[in-house]
Amino acid sequence: MSEEKITVEPQQFKEVFNRLEAEVQKIIVGHEDVIRKVLIAFFAGGHVLLEGVPGLGKTLLVKSLSRALGVTFKRIQFTPDLMPSDIVGTQVLTEESGRREFQFKKGPIFAHVVLADEINRATPKTQSAVLEAMEEHQVTVFGTSYTLESPFMVLATQNPIELEGTYPLPEAQLDRFFFKLLVTPPSPGELREILKRTTGTESAAIAKVLPDDSGQLVSAMKHLLRQVLIAPPIEDYVVRLVHATQPVGSNGGNPAAPVKQYLRFGSSPRGAQSAILGAKGNALAEGRVHVSYADVEKVVYPALRHRIILNFQAEAENVNSDQILSEVIKQLPRN
Amino acid sequence: MQVLAERYGLETPEKLVTRLVKRLRQHAFWDIVLVFLPPLAVGIYCVTTLYRGGWITGAVFVIAAFTAVALILAILIHRYQSALPSLRLAAHLIDERAGATDRFITLSTIEPSSCAPSLLGRLRSEAAGFLPRVRIKHDFPYKLKRSFYRSVLGALVFAAVFHLLLPIAGSWNAPRTVPERLREIAGKMAERPRMTELARQLQTLAAKMEDVNGAREEKQAAVQEMQKKIEQEQKKEEQKDNRDLLGQAASALQGADQQPGNGQEQQKKSDGGGGGGIQSNLPEKGKGETKSSSGSGDGKGEVTAELSKDMQEGKTSAGDPKEQGKEKNQQKVGEGKGDRPDASKADGDKTQEISGKTQGEREDKQGKDKGSEDIPQGAPPAERLSRPGEEGKGGIKGARYVTVQLPEEIAADSKGTTSGTKDSKSNRVGPKLPVSNVPLPAHLPDAPTEKQRVPLEYRGIIR
Repeated sequence: MSEEKITVEPQQFKEVFNRLEAEVQKIIVGHEDVIRKVLIAFFAGGHVLLEGVPGLGKTLLVKSLSRALGVTFKRIQFTPDLMPSDIVGTQVLTEESGRREFQFKKGPIFAHVVLADEINRATPKTQSAVLEAMEEHQVTVFGTSYTLESPFMVLATQNPIELEGTYPLPEAQLDRFFFKLLVTPPSPGELREILKRTTGTESAAIAKVLPDDSGQLVSAMKHLLRQVLIAPPIEDYVVRLVHATQPVGSNGGNPAAPVKQYLRFGSSPRGAQSAILGAKGNALAEGRVHVSYADVEKVVYPALRHRIILNFQAEAENVNSDQILSEVIKQLPRN
Repeated sequence: MQVLAERYGLETPEKLVTRLVKRLRQHAFWDIVLVFLPPLAVGIYCVTTLYRGGWITGAVFVIAAFTAVALILAILIHRYQSALPSLRLAAHLIDERAGATDRFITLSTIEPSSCAPSLLGRLRSEAAGFLPRVRIKHDFPYKLKRSFYRSVLGALVFAAVFHLLLPIAGSWNAPRTVPERLREIAGKMAERPRMTELARQLQTLAAKMEDVNGAREEKQAAVQEMQKKIEQEQKKEEQKDNRDLLGQAASALQGADQQPGNGQEQQKKSDGGGGGGIQSNLPEKGKGETKSSSGSGDGKGEVTAELSKDMQEGKTSAGDPKEQGKEKNQQKVGEGKGDRPDASKADGDKTQEISGKTQGEREDKQGKDKGSEDIPQGAPPAERLSRPGEEGKGGIKGARYVTVQLPEEIAADSKGTTSGTKDSKSNRVGPKLPVSNVPLPAHLPDAPTEKQRVPLEYRGIIR
């Protein structure tokens, strides 16, 4: 089946998307928003950083998602002694029919969905090994580049507490994540449901939503996502929104008071790209072929929260990125 | 989408947005017109009132009207252009009204060539589904904006303040000349049928008063005659307005009566370019008319003292009144700067003032008597001499005389005898004065002349 022949209709996209959500939600209680955004990031071709305290089901969510997608899944537990070769692979001397030669042994990065668990526990050297894979969808070992499989998605998790002995991700690496999603503790009702599902004898099984050879279908869905219509005024709104996060207003612009007070750096252009692609994905997920202002506002937090760098005053006053972004959105007119 | 639109008998989403843009443009136009209408009406009313009240002339009225109209048009156009609703605004309003989740804004602003036709078609049909929810006339009626009410209120307040301030400003209005006031009153009278004749006569009187060549007595007679007429008319008149108008004319004429020859004087004042409150108390070209000074007592003293000083220096009393007026102005300016003399100086000035005043009075009398003795200004020195047959004794016109004492006369004086030389012997026996080159005292025609020793270098010539 050639790629040109596969076309996905918006309605079909929505159906697949909703089925995926439903399958994951069979295992994961709550976190509907997180699941939706992870799926949006997957079809937008981005990577996701999940942040939350231990035991909230981050790893389970990723596993469930990969099972529902029916794609290959690998997990890497990041530790301080993890080496880059442990991730990307290495040359191994092999002997075959009397001939010795080096053969490349692929690391766990060669999978459709890679879970980089507790990514902030590895050294920066190891963390940076993932950078090329995330951005270029390829790895280079001993001068030879190896292309990663498509679709490729890195889902990294990090723990906001127990920061001793950790290596916080540098801004450059954070910027490569499409979304940063916050996994929050479950509500009492959700917790009750979790207990019901996990402490009984019944266990739910996840059905594969996508066919075995889903690469072309995923590509077609990705293509459709990029075709979603976006009006110039909405694009302009995203631009103004990202621009408003700059603490030093360029072109004579005057930044909002919280931005000036609490931000060291504003969002990069990748933030605007993520916001628009995320809004397109959200529109398709809701069965629309055009982006609305509401779509943008739904994805602007996960798209920008890790791209704006807080200053010392913000940390001292316990001000977080989401508070600043909500102020920016409040002060920015749509038209 | 077209099929759907036809089925509902409706237009396409793009057409709906365009129609709303047109309607919003009309709204914007009326908004601006209604905001500017009250101030414009009040402005027209104020200018007309000012024109009818004689505050502004017809030319000023026309210029003001044209400028105001041009200005308002420019502002209207500018405001209209800036207030023009955009396509995206109209689409946004429809989206809000229909709950179309930004479908109309996307349709009306997106570039069709850059997007997938299938998706665009789908969006069009989705948007067409929202068309029945929007009725432009019903959903977007014209409403008066708050700015209109503010404008009306502001204009009314302005008109009220104008009405209140106009009479006050009338009292503050700079005093005009009597002929101007007469003309103004005549203009008002001309509007009333019963007073047209009187208005015409007042106009004629005003013209007569402004005539520089007219005799003063004639003018006064005309003024008095007019006063009588007005008094008669006032007695006859029954209407209060007309009586008031006649009263104004009478008071104006009374002012004219108190200012004899005012026409000429006012013209001169205006020619002089700011004579201010100071009026010359010097004789004018031999007429010898005295005028009151509106300056302070000190100023007056200083002015007269200055003038007597001039006389001491040998200037004629019948100088150019304009020049004198200028000097007075300068004096006034100096006074205004707070350049006050000290007490001892003031005493000296006082004595000078007294002498100056008497000198001035006498000069006036002389001016009246000897009107023909004007010195031709700027004439060659020969013309300053009296011609044969003319009054004088072959001396210089208006010159002052000094009796020169020769050494032998001084010697004779010391012996108690006077030399019987020259005409000074008979009638000019003055006090013996110290001989020096101090400035001569003011020239008094009847005063005895001083005696001075002839300077050595002139001895041979005078003998």
